[in-house]
This record gives sequence, structure tokens and C-alpha cells, in this order.
Amino acid sequence: MDNIAIKTQNLVKHFGKGDTLVEVINDATFEIKKGELVALIAPSGAGKTTLLMMIGCVLTPTSGQIWLGEEKVYDNKWLTKEKRRIRREKIGFIFQAHYLIPFLNVIENVTLIPQINGVSLKEAKKEALELLDYFGIKDKANEMPANLSGGQNQRVAIARALANKPEIILADEPTAALDSKRSVDVVKMLKKIAIEQSVAVIMVTHDEAMVPLCDRVLTIKDKKVYNLSIDEYKNKTVV
Amino acid sequence: MINLAYKDVSHALGKFVVTSMGVGMLLGIVMIMIGVYRGMVIDAQVLINDINADIWVVQENTLGPFAQSSRVHTDLKDSIKAIDGVDKSANLTFQNIQMPINGTDERAFVVGYDPFGEINPINPKTIIKGRAILKEHYEIVTTDKLGYKLNEKIALGRHEYRVVGITHGTVSSGGDPLVFLSLKDAQELQFSYSNFRIRSDRERGIKSSAQQLVNCAVATLKSGYNPQMVAKEIQKYKHKSVYTQSQEKEILTKNLIKMASKQIGMFTVILIIVSTIIIALIIYTMTLEKIKEIAIMKLLGVPNSLIIKMIAQETLLMGILAFFFGLIFSHLIYTKFPKRVVLQNPDAIMLFIIVIVASIIASLIGIKKVISANPAEAIGG
Repeated sequence: MDNIAIKTQNLVKHFGKGDTLVEVINDATFEIKKGELVALIAPSGAGKTTLLMMIGCVLTPTSGQIWLGEEKVYDNKWLTKEKRRIRREKIGFIFQAHYLIPFLNVIENVTLIPQINGVSLKEAKKEALELLDYFGIKDKANEMPANLSGGQNQRVAIARALANKPEIILADEPTAALDSKRSVDVVKMLKKIAIEQSVAVIMVTHDEAMVPLCDRVLTIKDKKVYNLSIDEYKNKTVV
Repeated sequence: MINLAYKDVSHALGKFVVTSMGVGMLLGIVMIMIGVYRGMVIDAQVLINDINADIWVVQENTLGPFAQSSRVHTDLKDSIKAIDGVDKSANLTFQNIQMPINGTDERAFVVGYDPFGEINPINPKTIIKGRAILKEHYEIVTTDKLGYKLNEKIALGRHEYRVVGITHGTVSSGGDPLVFLSLKDAQELQFSYSNFRIRSDRERGIKSSAQQLVNCAVATLKSGYNPQMVAKEIQKYKHKSVYTQSQEKEILTKNLIKMASKQIGMFTVILIIVSTIIIALIIYTMTLEKIKEIAIMKLLGVPNSLIIKMIAQETLLMGILAFFFGLIFSHLIYTKFPKRVVLQNPDAIMLFIIVIVASIIASLIGIKKVISANPAEAIGG
């Protein structure tokens, strides 16, 4: 269990009731290790975002269990009232668009969550600058998001996701708005982060070209979630 | 810790300031409305304060001479002087007339008094040019608001009157500018009929005694006498309605301007409610504009308390800014109003407290939106 970052057991999600009941995820049982970059690939409407939000403690599953690291957070009900604290402390989010807070500059965007977690402003700034330096945008620290390019903003968003030293990064189509070269750069960057910082990364993508860069693939077929190796996915051995 | 409200306001400072100015102008109107009411109360008492009589004697069973028509005989001032405690007494007349100014008519309020009498209704402090009336006929003192110049001749009724003095800040209880005439001139102006009417009355056998009438008699008391006791005495022997100075003021403020003040009060309350709704709508719109960012913040784990603090601080800041803009706006325009507008600090402080309370109420609608914002909205797909 020491090496497991995410574990789900018989995770089920239904929307609605009675005649209007819609079954989205019927059985999600998988484990993701620390340091792994996992692609979540499935057709639109298959339930990728639903699965991501259940793991991110945003959406309440209908039944099942979820572990984040060693902490069991869901067992047919949330085991903590502080879901937001769990998100703040354990999870980093990256979205399709950068979704930086437009009225905060780059360094303020990156230091916001660490400060809420109790890190001093000085320490948070120091670590944020290191992160920005890592992504090659240290000189943009005092710029507003509106003054940066799309690629620069996405790098700030990744820096923000890492600023709280998360155990898990949930990335919802982080390359959708980027060209193929930048997409590869971002995925390579996520892979590097996963290895160097021992973080589990789940990345929703539609781009099959990104699959070889990942360690494993999660896919959803007929409401069931499959956790496949790259070869298994390529050979369609299970799905 | 980052102050989100400060950052958000700084980011859209121009928009925030302009919005606050808009609300501020509305609050400025509220201040002016309160000022109009205060002005009415002060106007209502200017003349009574300047006359400074302890006792007002008017026609029996009336609330005269301002709230109701009143006519008493001229010899009343002599007979009340015989009452124990009365020091000085005088007759006064009051009437509204139209004053000719540059080819148009301006409404004014005429006070007739005996220039050689014991009580002078012109407060010497209010005379800014010339002097009070010193002759029995054809002299007039006007207030500066009417625009007459010293020595200018004004045709009123059958005669012309020369302006011998100009006062400032003298108005009737209704806010009309005051003019002063000698008692005899004022009586003639008020009670004299045209020659045709006099001939007509004579043929009907009607004898006019109008020149022997005034609207009231006023008296001051010797020191140590209780005005209420003396008023009772006069009422007992003279069969007139008698009021002390404070009762006369009460008649004016409670009876004469009661309806007007209620109207202004209603208008002020409505304006405050409208301001609250506008602030609430602005805050709601501002919150809606940020709902994506709020959802992201919630998704990232920013506690509700921090986001609510941002909304509440922005609302309060808008309320405070709007109040000060309103204060500046009202002070810039209040002199332009034709009637007296009195802006008082206690009223401003009261309005400030109301604005703060209204802002807190207004922020609740934005806060409700924050609490109900779904963090899942941050993620598409």
C-alpha cells in the first residue's frame, strides 16, 4: 500500500432516480502507483470527468471505496467532512484551459493554496519561484495571466498544481488547447514531475499520440473502468 | 495571506470606482432628501425665532397665524399688555403675495410690523445691506433671494415701495422669501379693496373695518413668568387662542410640514431600499462574473470563508466608497436647490450606518451564490 497513490474498489456512479436513472460508472476497481503517469482515454460522455471528480473528492460516488495514499476517504459515504482540505493538501488540478485566477498575478496564483495550507508567504514565494524557474517562466512571476501566452499560462497552471506538493495530479485534458509539439512537451513535463516528485498523475486525453508517453491507460467501456498497460491498450486485448 | 478582495478590486479598479460613483449619486440624492426635510424644519422656525415672542395670541379656536387663517383686532396688543407678566406686545400681519421681478412674479411672504413698536420681527443679524424700516409708509425690506437692489422701487397694490434693507436667510415656514412692510402698509395691502369694491360694499350697507385687523398679536414676558401660565390668563380673559413659542413651533413642524416630511421620509426610505437592491444586484452580478473563478477556487480547496470574506469586503468597500461619493456629490449640488437644504453630520453618520447595514444585507445574496457554487463547474467535459 506504501507505493499506491490512488485505489478504488467497486466504484459506482449513478445520476438520477427511477425512470431517469443513468448509470455512468458501474465498476471502477484499479490502483495507480506513485510516480505513474496514467492516461484516461474514453469517448466523450463515457464518464472520464465523472471518474476524475470522484477521485478528486468533488463528486460523491453512489457506492464503492476510494483510497488516496493511505487514507481511505470514501466507503459508501465520505469518511471526512473536510473534502476541501484533502483536495488542498493531496491533489493538484490541471484543466483544459489554464483557469488561473485572473485578478492574481502569476506568483500569487501559485502561492495561494500553500498559504492557505499554512506555509508562510516568504516560504511559499521561495518555493513558487523555484517551480516557475523549473518551468522557465520565473521572469513572469509578477505578470498578470492576461499578459501571458496560452503555453506560459498552462505552465503556470501546472506550477500551481504542484505548489501544494500533492500526492496526486488530476489533469483534465491539459493538452486540448495546445498544438502537438506543445502537447508532447506538457505530457513529458508531467511524466518528469511524476517520476521526480513521486506523484501519481491521471491525465484525461483524447489524443492517442500521447499514450506512448504514459505508463498505463485507464479506459471506460460499457461503464466499466479498465486499467491497462500500454501494450494491452494498443493490442485491444481486453477492451 | 493574500487579500482576494483587494486584488480583485485593484484588477478592475476603474469599473469598481465608476459603479461606486453611480451608487454614490443615488446616496447623494438620499442625503439631499434628508437635507430638504431638515431645511423645511429650520425654515418653519426661522420667522418664529426671529420674532422671538413668548406668547402668540390668535383668533379663537384656530391654529393661526401660519397653520390656519387668523384675524384679531389691532387693540388686542394693548389689552394683552395689561395682563400680569406681559412685558412687550405688538401686532403682526402675514400674507403671501406675488412680487414683480423682471416682468415675472415671484411668490413671497409679507410680514407687517409696527416699525415704532416694541417687537421687531427683523433679526438685525440677517440684514446684509441697508437697514430696517424707519418710516410708517412706502419702505420695504426684502430678502436677497428675490434679487432686488437697495433703493429699487417695487409696485405693490396701489403704491410703490422703496427697498431700504436686504436680509439673508429669511424665509417663511413654507420656504418662501420674506419681505417686511410697515404694519399700516401691510394692512392696506391685505385688507383694502379696490375703489369699485368699496363703492359696491357701501351701496350694500357694508361697513369695512378691515383696516382695524391684524393676523395676530405677540408678546414677550417679564423675566420669571411662566409662558404657559400667562397664556392661560390671556385665554381666560380675551377669548382667544394663545400659544407659547414652543407650542407655535410645534404647530408649524407637526401640523404644517407633517405631510411634507412624511412624504420626504417615504421617498428617502424608498431610495435607501432601492440603493440596497442596486448594491445587491451589482454584487450579485460581480459574483456571477467570477463564478468560474469561485468554482476553481473551491475545487482547488480554497475554503468558503476566504471567498465569502472577499465578497463581503468588496460589498462593504463599495458601500463605503459610494457613501463618500454621495457625500461629495450632495455637498457639490445642495446649494443649487431653490429651497433650503441642510446637510447635518448626524444625518450623514446615520446614513453611513444604514449603508453599512444595507451593504452587509446586499452581500448575503452574493455569499449565497458562493456557497451554492459547484466546484465541479470548474471542469468541462
